[in-house]
Amino acid sequence: MARDQPLPTRVTLLGIRHHGPGSARMVAAALAAVRPEVVLIEGPPEGDALLPHVPDLTPPVALLLHDEAEPARAAFWPFAEFSPEWRAMTWAHANGVPVRFFDLPAAASLDDPEPESPDDEPKAAVDPLGTLARAAGFDDPERWWEDVVEHHTDPRDLAEAVAEAMGALREEFADQVDARTLRREAAMRQNVRQALKDVEGPIAVVAGAWHVPALRTLPPASVDAAALKGLPRRKVSGTWVPWSHGRLAASSGYGAGVASPGWYAHLWECAERGDAVPRWFAKACAVLRAEDLPASTASAVEAVRLADALAAMRGRPSPGLSEVMEAALAVLCGGDATPLRLVHEQLVVGERLGEVGEDVPTSPLAADLARLQRRLRMPAGAAVKQVRFDLRKDTDRERSKLLRRLEVLDVPWGTPDTTRTLGTFAEAWQLQWRPEFAVALAVAARHGTTVEAAARTVLITRAAAATRVVDAAEALGQAVGCEIPEAVAASRQALDRCAAAATDALELLSALPDLATTVRYGSVRGTDPELLRVALHGLLARGAVGLPLACRGVDEDTAERAVRAVEGADDAVRLAADDEHRDTWQRALRALVAMPDAHGLPTGRATRLLWETGALDSDEVATRLHRAVSLAAGATAFVAGFLRGSAALLTADPRLFGVVDEWLTGLSGADFAAALPLLRRAVGEFSPAERRMLGDRVKGSAAGGAVAAGDWDEELAARLVGHVRDLLGAGA
Amino acid sequence: MTTEPVLRPAAEQQYAAELAALAAADDRPRPPRWRMSPQAVVTYVLGGTLADGTVITPKYVGDRRLVEVAVGTLVTDRALLLVGVPGTAKSWLSEHIAAAVSGNSMLVVQGTAGTGEDQVRYGWNYARLIAEGPSEAAVVASPVMTGMREGAVVRVEELTRMPAEVQDSFITILSEKTLPIPELGIQVQAVPGFTVIATANDRDRGVNQMSSALARRFNTVVLPPPATEDDEVEIVSARAAQLGRALQLPAEPPALEEVRRVVRIFRELRNGSTVDGRTQLKKPSGSLSTAEAISVVTSGMALAGHFGSGTITADELASGLLGAVVKDRVSDTAAWQEYLEAVVKERAEWRDLYRACQDLVG
Repeated sequence: MARDQPLPTRVTLLGIRHHGPGSARMVAAALAAVRPEVVLIEGPPEGDALLPHVPDLTPPVALLLHDEAEPARAAFWPFAEFSPEWRAMTWAHANGVPVRFFDLPAAASLDDPEPESPDDEPKAAVDPLGTLARAAGFDDPERWWEDVVEHHTDPRDLAEAVAEAMGALREEFADQVDARTLRREAAMRQNVRQALKDVEGPIAVVAGAWHVPALRTLPPASVDAAALKGLPRRKVSGTWVPWSHGRLAASSGYGAGVASPGWYAHLWECAERGDAVPRWFAKACAVLRAEDLPASTASAVEAVRLADALAAMRGRPSPGLSEVMEAALAVLCGGDATPLRLVHEQLVVGERLGEVGEDVPTSPLAADLARLQRRLRMPAGAAVKQVRFDLRKDTDRERSKLLRRLEVLDVPWGTPDTTRTLGTFAEAWQLQWRPEFAVALAVAARHGTTVEAAARTVLITRAAAATRVVDAAEALGQAVGCEIPEAVAASRQALDRCAAAATDALELLSALPDLATTVRYGSVRGTDPELLRVALHGLLARGAVGLPLACRGVDEDTAERAVRAVEGADDAVRLAADDEHRDTWQRALRALVAMPDAHGLPTGRATRLLWETGALDSDEVATRLHRAVSLAAGATAFVAGFLRGSAALLTADPRLFGVVDEWLTGLSGADFAAALPLLRRAVGEFSPAERRMLGDRVKGSAAGGAVAAGDWDEELAARLVGHVRDLLGAGA
Repeated sequence: MTTEPVLRPAAEQQYAAELAALAAADDRPRPPRWRMSPQAVVTYVLGGTLADGTVITPKYVGDRRLVEVAVGTLVTDRALLLVGVPGTAKSWLSEHIAAAVSGNSMLVVQGTAGTGEDQVRYGWNYARLIAEGPSEAAVVASPVMTGMREGAVVRVEELTRMPAEVQDSFITILSEKTLPIPELGIQVQAVPGFTVIATANDRDRGVNQMSSALARRFNTVVLPPPATEDDEVEIVSARAAQLGRALQLPAEPPALEEVRRVVRIFRELRNGSTVDGRTQLKKPSGSLSTAEAISVVTSGMALAGHFGSGTITADELASGLLGAVVKDRVSDTAAWQEYLEAVVKERAEWRDLYRACQDLVG
């Protein structure tokens, strides 16, 4: 039985912290000292083919590998200027030394379910050096590295020290070594064996510190081979994509992201000169000055002093990120977190964007789109093409979904044809593919690897950025159209947020009609209409509370808006609200009607709407009309609001006709004369044809039509008819 | 002590034992004229247990980093400006830091619209001035001058309430650390240990904006409202009980549940969303500080004690809440109504409060 062999001494194991500038310095120094003949780097071997591109890349960049059949199954391996792996790659290229990735193939690792859940504390396995640093009471692992680890001068000694510490740590956290890690380490050992066969000279191995203890001894090759048996095989293709410091800050690819890539880049750049803190404050001052905020050199001096004092108080040899940020807040930003956010965004995270040379293969988003086009039999064509989709059919619904999602990604391949109304389940589109969409696709590639994922990111971002109710409602409509539940949820939240912040009840109410349509047709789109209905109710409740106030003391333009909002909201309520919220709405209308100094236009409208639902009876309406007329100002508006756009209804609906009729006939002579010009102006908006119809109707009733019921005062009617004839005669 | 108890003893008197124990146990380097090391000052403010078992009570409940930055500022002999909405313990913190650093929290300049330059620089003993002519004996030192001579911390309360020109007399004092007396042709030079802790609130109306020349001479620490509901409940119930004792209110200290309700209402309105984050709310115009929450609870205790059952109920709280929330009749009433309808009404166990509040609003 073969025993575990110690790793030959010509192999130098460099245990690193991913994206740790301290580790990067160690790797650079160690490689220069060891001068290996081959460099092995933690990463998927499928990426080897892409390694020759390294000189064309400007970090931060990410290696992107995805399953060819299923681009959503993808993973990123990001590298920054200060990543130890990147240092190893560039060193190898500069010195003409072969470099290989030696981790488990992506074909196998892509198969694993996403291991990370963002809520979890970073595990020891993910950031073992960080775990050690935290155990030592440091909040920033890089400062711990600097303060505690880096006074070792020989980088090889340092590597040895790291290996020892990891040995202890792995015993401590033995429960975190899962099957996946063991498989990966078996693969790493196999690759090390291969490298040992391939070259005679020294070998450098750059791997996460966590794996170092597992690589220090080589068990019989057959054991590792057995561990790697039966791994899934799949075709994996990949590319380099530009990455940003902002994305590095998020958790992605392997392990946890780093919270402060900009700060690390700064540490990396300043390591040689040893002036990280003063230089950082100088940069911070420049950032603030660029925004026209005061930041003097004298303040920078004070900030350095405060950072030093804080470090001393906390018993640390030099200020770290938390000390410099706290000093910047107190000295440079006057305690105001807003300018500090600028510093955070531009310096701590940094807005650096990587670049990728032109010879890079296509993005997975483009691959996904091509696949969808094939599957849905929708080839991209340069000519305009009309299509109709029946949303009850799955394929058509998928097609519509794709077009809407692309629209969200600024790839307007299809434009919806709104000239034809086709009901709730049919859609008309115009298709035309333009070459510049390729650019938009490349841009959208950073949002996700599939059309769906990218559209989801965009919609969620848009929802988060929405500040007006209308914007949020629009995002919601799009999200429902795209059938992305997460985006629907996010825009719902945005809607709530905007609604709470909205001070204008009319703005809230104006968003209702679209929302009501979305509620109505949401079920076709696979979104639970109840969810949307709750949102609608929320808006309605808030809008209803503010409506009466919003109609008080307003000018004509606002009153116009108000009357439109009231009408739209009323339609929406009838279309989609439940009974309880219908009541809420009705109460709001009542409050509006009862408010003495509200503008007549919306008040008149509200009176009419209440009368239609039977909440106000005809007598009350007549009283309201009387009262409105007795007020000199705003009376026209009230009558206009009451009768607006209802010429046809007035002629056809005996009840409405009766109310107006009763009101007019009940007027005393003087009052009637006073009301006449108002009525004239109120019906002035009706078309001549409508006025003629109305005139005929009046004549008809005078001749004893269907309206006549009960008390009938011939004399009054005759008087009314005469006057109305005079009134309408002008236009007829 | 045989002296008559005072209504409110200064921090260094009230916590003399803690300060002495801290100074005795402190073996770290102390800046010149400091009574204890900066680390010990932080311990005094935030509380802790010393090696000899002495328990230091926490004076300020909040972020350790803020206190560290504040004390660190004093170490670098920069002036410290504590900013925050009313009721975030600015003066409280300044008093305790001064007591710990200099053993004297009574060198105070109170900023008001009527504060004059002589309260910041120096005044004259006019009898002596007329009798003997200008002399050092005729100079009446301001707290600032005393602090400069003795190397002590000087507190400036409500800096932004002073007229702008009086504020600016601090510029020379803070940048040159000298106070010239031109009439005598001499100047008072500050000795190490002198520094200034100023407080200012950025929310109230009727303040004089600080000139940026003066603002540059301060390190600013913003004191936020308490971070968590539990912190705030702790502060409110502790202070309300203390005040209730001091004012000899006949009511029982309020049940924790009532305090929690008040604190939750304050926090939700202040943050503009409910604790579960699911409902967004309008923010009223008032500051809704912890201090106001304390006063809602104490006034509830007073009402309950003198006119009620002796135990706080929703009825006693409702009027206090209405008064604390509604500062602007139109907009705040809407915000409060919306809150009542959207949040209070929905919480089944808050029904009593909802009814009590609705009765008041009418």
